[in-house]
Amino acid sequence: MGRTYNIIKYLCLLAWATFVVFPFLWALSTSFKDANAVTSGARYIPWLEFEPSVEGWTSLFASGSRGINIVTPFMNSASVTLLASIVSLGLGTLAAYGLSRFSYKAGFIKNSDITFFFISQRIMPPIVLAIPFFLMLKEIQALDTIFGLVIVYVALLLPIAVWVMTDFFASIPKELDEMAMIDGCTPIGAFFRVVLPNSTAGLVVAGMFCLIFGWNDFFFAFILTFTETQLLPVAIVSLNSSVTPWWSLSAFALISVTPLALIAIVVERFMSRGSLAGAFR
Amino acid sequence: MAEITLKNLGHSYSTAPMSEEDYALKPVDLVWEDGKTYSLLGPSGCGKTTMLNIISGLLHPSEGQLLFDGQDVTQKSTSERNIAQVFQFPVIYTTKSVRRNLSFPLECREWEPKKIANRVAEVSELLELDDILDMPARRLSADQKQLISLGRGLVRDDVSAVLLDEPLTVIDPQMKFSLRRKLREINRRTGTTMILVTHDQSEAMSFADEVVVMKDGRVQQSGRPEQLFERPQNTFVGYFIGSPPINLFNVDVQGDSLACPALDLSGIPRGQLEPGALQIGIRPEHLSFSEPTEKGAIATVEACENLGIEQIVSLRAQTGEAFKVKSRLRRKIGVGSQLAVSVAEKDVLVFQDGRLA
Repeated sequence: MGRTYNIIKYLCLLAWATFVVFPFLWALSTSFKDANAVTSGARYIPWLEFEPSVEGWTSLFASGSRGINIVTPFMNSASVTLLASIVSLGLGTLAAYGLSRFSYKAGFIKNSDITFFFISQRIMPPIVLAIPFFLMLKEIQALDTIFGLVIVYVALLLPIAVWVMTDFFASIPKELDEMAMIDGCTPIGAFFRVVLPNSTAGLVVAGMFCLIFGWNDFFFAFILTFTETQLLPVAIVSLNSSVTPWWSLSAFALISVTPLALIAIVVERFMSRGSLAGAFR
Repeated sequence: MAEITLKNLGHSYSTAPMSEEDYALKPVDLVWEDGKTYSLLGPSGCGKTTMLNIISGLLHPSEGQLLFDGQDVTQKSTSERNIAQVFQFPVIYTTKSVRRNLSFPLECREWEPKKIANRVAEVSELLELDDILDMPARRLSADQKQLISLGRGLVRDDVSAVLLDEPLTVIDPQMKFSLRRKLREINRRTGTTMILVTHDQSEAMSFADEVVVMKDGRVQQSGRPEQLFERPQNTFVGYFIGSPPINLFNVDVQGDSLACPALDLSGIPRGQLEPGALQIGIRPEHLSFSEPTEKGAIATVEACENLGIEQIVSLRAQTGEAFKVKSRLRRKIGVGSQLAVSVAEKDVLVFQDGRLA
């Protein structure tokens, strides 16, 4: 009984894992193909089914007409994502702390309405925001700049940070802040000296979400930039011309996924250390 | 250290209190003297914690004034009041070590590191925490955590008062006793005013110089434990203090005096009483019984609880009223047997409409 159950369990897991990993493996295999190997039917296994070539990878770093510039978009993406995540996390954490500890009231608007207002920013389809953002950035001459993208990304990432952190602060007993104030902290001191050190797990989760959403965004990067400030997702798609270099494109895509994969591994280690369990009381 | 005065202090959680019912703490005048130990005793939800949070400044009262040594602190922030408070559940800074937990209040006050180290050493010796000073605070047991909560209060040498909000709930009974003794000892050594909130009367009585009994947001009586026991101001205090609670009997008015048919008493001085529901109250400890004789009240034994050195006998009077007697254990009493019951006149308390006349 137990044995059959285990076999079925592992078969199911294996099927799912294959389903998840297969696109990556295919991209990896494609990145080592040449034009011939890509166009002449489905082939998967190097050396057996096709002769591997490193052209896809070398082209990313080659100079001249054959080269594809990957460094600039990579650095652009990194700057925009990091800056926007830091700003969102900073503002979002402060906002979330306020929303979880103090009561605000403006007419019929209360804390829960303010929280919902933040979250509602993510309910709208992005296309609704595209034209207003475009016009606003045009007005301040921030189209096609890193600065402009950071502003827009903060608007996109802030709701995530507020959402995650409001939830997290709600799980930290209020007595902890009260204790800190009794011990002689000001409310702001209580936040920075006591609550924040207890919130690393929440900050890591919120930060991870910000990085993932920021890094992966294609839509706004595509609409609000032209030639000067190209981000990674846009650069990948722009490879897709009359003759698509699938091998370069695959290598490019794998490189762009790497930072997130590394973050995921680090965060997974961090979370499995048990730091997420808010060990109070 | 300070004398804490509550001047017509009340609190309502609703913004526009309509009636008395809306007050979690009904306006009260009360003085907590410097250096004494107090217990705030009452059933759950009677406003004890509200009062405590107002004193510590976590809550701002909707009316009245709070004075520390005559200074109005009603609008001052928690940190300015310099109060130590220990909550029902230990609150510790899980990310810090025990030592850092204890030194945190002093770091907030920007003491010199050397002074902090000395003071932390003193307090940890007092609380016997020396061995675990460098452990991460999250690894401790509940009672050790509670000791640290307390230690963080004591480490400041100038606290106005130490407020204890049912701090012994999470502690196991053996430890409870020693912690309570330790609190008393600290009070003696440092002269810090201590206010202990509890719903356990034996804890309240054994801890405090003075006990304040509360019910429904109103202070019922405050006084030394023996005063509450001997002369409860109303039937609630009589009922809440003492175990088993006070016995209440119906009385008949006979001209200028009262008679209690259940105990065959008559000629109880009536005093200057207005008309109203009259009752007499007698502590179970003050009643005594003997073998039935020709004279005196007779009651039937319904149950007899043996507490080792004492016994509690449940009796039913011939009028049908049930009551209890607590006495030294002397002999076996059979259920259903008849006993004569008597009481000294000085131990009879007359209540009118529930208040001591």
